[in-house]
Amino acid sequence: MSDARRVLAQAAALVALSVLVGAAVHFPLVGRFARGEFRETFFQVSDYPGIRLIALAEAEDLWAGGTAVVLDARAEGFYGQGHVPGARNLPADASGFDVPAAILEVPKDRTFVLYCEGGDCQSSLALAKRLHEAGFRDVRVFTGGWSEWRAAGLPEEKVDAPE
Amino acid sequence: MLRNKGVLLAFRLVLGGLFVYAGAVKVLDPLDFAQNIRNYQLVGQSLSFIAAIVLPWLEILAGLALILGVWRRGAALVVTGLLVFFIVLTAVTMVRGLDVDCGCFGSLSRKSGWGVILEDLGMLALGLVLLVKERTGTRTRCTCPPTR
Repeated sequence: MSDARRVLAQAAALVALSVLVGAAVHFPLVGRFARGEFRETFFQVSDYPGIRLIALAEAEDLWAGGTAVVLDARAEGFYGQGHVPGARNLPADASGFDVPAAILEVPKDRTFVLYCEGGDCQSSLALAKRLHEAGFRDVRVFTGGWSEWRAAGLPEEKVDAPE
Repeated sequence: MLRNKGVLLAFRLVLGGLFVYAGAVKVLDPLDFAQNIRNYQLVGQSLSFIAAIVLPWLEILAGLALILGVWRRGAALVVTGLLVFFIVLTAVTMVRGLDVDCGCFGSLSRKSGWGVILEDLGMLALGLVLLVKERTGTRTRCTCPPTR
């Protein structure tokens, strides 16, 4: 075998071994994936008992009730163009994100409603995990997000652009 | 100098160690890593899952091979291939303006950006040296000049 082919064969063997070892070590997880879990989101409810995924009707009820803290996890620019009235903007970019002190002062059993753009946006879930880690125990993620809220014709609020 | 066995050994240990570590932290929480991959918004849910299962082990096994000195050039090829992929991925992510965690070293990860690219370029340099200078695995007749 030529030198180059030998190197390629070694690399291919490493890839094949990785597939085998990965499938063997994570066999239960692979089984759950094969049965249809983790198709929407990589999220184990059992790891975060305080987080629930909710639909539009529940999000609207909680918002209308006025007692839940509504957080918009999208970037500031999108938030400015329109958001759920009363929602605070907390862009959940993955790096260096800290739960602000003002949020940490909220009682830990308060209900939070989080959303991002909708579709397959993940920032609201990332934010939910941070809040959960910060000790909050009633964190609800409105998975339909801003796009669903808007499509339903519900009220919206904008941030006025500076003069 | 790069023919020096000690230097090549040091390169293998450093690069292998980094890859084993990077793989090990991801193996511990495959779903978290799958989410990291998904955040790049390049592949769908299934591919993210498969990559999260396989990629950490590829890093570990290639790293181990470098450390133990088996399949050295094959391992160096895997490592350099992965690094080139990571560099392109990070650059594309920056151009697209995505704000994502690099997902490179578990909890030590930080935002995808120039720091990550420079780090990967440093490792790539080590990997390329190993790929070019290491023996394939079979003993070849030494053509080096006799030492005094």
